[in-house]
Amino acid sequence: MEILMEAFRSLGKNKVRTFLSMLGIVIGVIAVIVAIAIGAGTTANVTARISSLGSNVIIVTPGFSGGFGGRSAAALTSVLQETDVQNIKNMAPDVADVTPVLQKSFTIIYGATNTVANVFGAYPDAFSILALPIQYGRLITQQDEQNYANVAVIGNTLATTLFGNRDPVGQTVIVTTGNVKVSFTIVGELQETGGKLTFDPDNMLMIPYTTASARLIQLNGGVSEILASAKSAETAANAVSEINNILYMRIANSNVYQSQSANQYRVVSQNAILSTVSATTDVLTLLLASVAAISMIVGGIGIMNIMLVSVSERTKEIGIKMAMGATGRRIMMEFLVESMFITIVAGAIGVGFSYLIAFLVTYLASGLGLMVIVTWPSIALSFGVSVIIGIFFGLYPAYMASKKSPVEAVRYE
Amino acid sequence: MSLLELKNVKKTYNMGKEIQVEALKGISFSIEEGSYTSIMGHSGSGKSTLLQIMGCLDRATDGDIIINGTAVKKMNDFQLAHFRNKTIGFVFQSFNLIGNLTALENIELPMIYAGVSRSERRKKAMELLKIVGLEEPEERGHHRPSQLSGGQQQRVAVARALANDPAMILADEPTGNLATNQWRIILDIFRKLNESGKTIVVVTHDPLVGNEASRIITLEDGKMIDDRIISDKAEKIVDEKR
Ligand SMILES: Nc1ncnc2c1ncn2[C@@H]1O[C@H](COP(=O)(O)OP(=O)(O)OP(=O)(O)O)[C@@H](O)[C@H]1O
Ligand SMILES: [Mg+2]
Repeated sequence: MEILMEAFRSLGKNKVRTFLSMLGIVIGVIAVIVAIAIGAGTTANVTARISSLGSNVIIVTPGFSGGFGGRSAAALTSVLQETDVQNIKNMAPDVADVTPVLQKSFTIIYGATNTVANVFGAYPDAFSILALPIQYGRLITQQDEQNYANVAVIGNTLATTLFGNRDPVGQTVIVTTGNVKVSFTIVGELQETGGKLTFDPDNMLMIPYTTASARLIQLNGGVSEILASAKSAETAANAVSEINNILYMRIANSNVYQSQSANQYRVVSQNAILSTVSATTDVLTLLLASVAAISMIVGGIGIMNIMLVSVSERTKEIGIKMAMGATGRRIMMEFLVESMFITIVAGAIGVGFSYLIAFLVTYLASGLGLMVIVTWPSIALSFGVSVIIGIFFGLYPAYMASKKSPVEAVRYE
Repeated sequence: MSLLELKNVKKTYNMGKEIQVEALKGISFSIEEGSYTSIMGHSGSGKSTLLQIMGCLDRATDGDIIINGTAVKKMNDFQLAHFRNKTIGFVFQSFNLIGNLTALENIELPMIYAGVSRSERRKKAMELLKIVGLEEPEERGHHRPSQLSGGQQQRVAVARALANDPAMILADEPTGNLATNQWRIILDIFRKLNESGKTIVVVTHDPLVGNEASRIITLEDGKMIDDRIISDKAEKIVDEKR
C-alpha cells in the first residue's frame, strides 16, 4: 500500500515526464484496439453483405477464372448446361430452388438516354434465391417465363440513370448489342440493395430466362452460371456435394471435358464464402494488430528509458532508503510498481480513447459502410499486454535500482 | 559485552586501472553498549569510511566486524538491510532527508520498512519530533525539508534515526552544516540520548564536538593513532585548550 502511495507521489512530482512516458503506450493501445475493431467491423460488414445474398445461396460458376462474377463468365460458358439445372432440380434432394443464369453486358436505351448495364436472364425463382424485394410494379412471373415475354424488372440505380425521377414502370427500353435490338417493357423496380457481393442488382436489368436465351444471349443450351438455394443452413453442405456429384457425372460422361472435369466448375455455398472471407479478414486483423503491437513495444522501451533516468536521478534517495533499512527487494518493488502504474493508467486512457475513436469513426463514416467494433477480447489483450510491458520493461531499471550499494548512493551528490 | 567489535578492518577502494586507495589499514577496537565515542582525524583520514563499515552501509575489504556476536561477513544484503533498519540510526552531515516527503513521512520511513502500522507510525513520529524539540511539531511536521532550517532538518534527521529505537546512533559530521547555536542543540540531544542508554558514535574533525564524547578515537591516514577514555569534565576542558 505504501509502495503504491510512493509511486503515485514520485510520478506526480514529474507530471510532464510521466505523461510523455505514458504517451507511447496510450498510442499503442489505441492502435491495437482500433486495428482489431476495424477488422471486426470489416468482418461484420462483409458477413452482412454475404448474408444479404439470400438465405443459403449456392453459386455454381464455370472454371476458376470466372470467379464469382458473372460478367466475364459468358466467354467460358458451355461448361454449365441447362440440362444440369434440370438434373439438379430432379436429383438433389437438399436443393430448394435452382435457376440457370444468362448474364451479359448490353447497351440500354431509353429515349435519348443510353447506358451500359448487365442483363440478367433467370427463372422467377432467382428473386427469392437472392432475396430481391420489389419496390414498384411487379416481379417477373412464371407466365412471363413461358411466354418468352419482353418484360423486365429494373434495378434501383439503373432506373435513376435512365428515367431520372420518372416512374419506370410501363416504360419501354431498347437492349442492344451489335445488330441485335430488343425492346422490353419495364414491369417493376427493385428496392435498393447496396450490392450483393458478386452481383449488383441495383445496376441490372432482369428478364425472363426464356427471353434471354431466345433473343439476347444464345449459348446453345449453355448457361453463364447456376444459382440454387439449400433447404436450410444445415443442409447447405449436402446440397453443395449433391450438385457437385451431378455435375461431375455429367461432365465425366461427356468425353469433351473428361480430362479436366474437376477444374471446369466451382460450387460454393454462402457459408463457405463466409468462412473464407472471415479467415481472410482474420489474417488481415492479425497483421494490423501486430503492427500496432510493435508500437506498444516501442512505448515500453520509452518507459524503460525514462525509468532508467529516474533511477539514476534518484540514486541518493535510493541510498538513503537503503541506509534506513529498505531491502533491495523493496526498492525493486517501488520502481516496478511505478512502471506498472504508468502502463496501467496509459492502458486505461488508451481504452477510453479507442472507444471515442470507434464512436467517431462509426458516426462520421457510417455512410461509407465502414464499421468499427471495439471488442472485449481486444481490450483485455491490449490492457494485459500493456501491464506485461510495464513489468517487462520496468524490470531492468528496477533491478538496477535494487543493486545500488547504499554507500555509493548516499555519497552521490 | 561489546555491541560492536572491529578486528583488523581494512578497506581498499579500487579506482580502476590498478589505482587503489587504502582508506583503512587495519583498525581494531570495540564499542561498548551505552558508550559515547567520537572518531576524529584530518580530512581524508578515513573517518567516514570507518563509520560506513561500522553501520554496514559498506563491506570491509578485510578483517572482521562482529555486531551483537554475529559476524557481518556471514550476513547477506537482505540481513544487513534488516540490521540497519532495527539496530542502527544514521545521521549525516547533509541531513539526507527525502525531499518529496514531509518531515513526519521521513521519520516514518524506517518504520514502514519495519512493518509498523500506519497509525502507530504517525503517533511515534510525532512523539519523536517532540523529543528532538522541533518547534510547533503539529504544523512543521507536515512541512517538506526545503521549508525547514538546517537545524530543524538535522533534528528531523535525528528523529528519523531514532524511529525504530535502534541500539546505536552513527553520526557523520552531524554539525558540519550547522550554525553554532544549532549544533549545540544537536549535541544536547545526543548527550540526553546517551544518558538514556543509547550507544553513540560521532565522526567529526571538530574538537569541540569530539570532546562531548567519553572516548575519542583518532585516525590518521587510515590507521588508529590514539584511543583515549575521558572520564571527567576537567580533562576535557584541558584538552580543548591544548
Ligand atoms: N568511494 C571512494 N572511492 C575512492 N576513494 C575513496 C572513496 N571514498 C573515500 N575514498 C578515499 O578514502 C580516503 C578516506 O576517505 P573518507 O571519506 O573516509 O575520509 P574522511 O576522514 O571522512 O574525510 P573528511 O573529513 O573530508 O570527510 C580518502 O583518501 C578518500 O579519497
Ligand atoms: Mg568524511
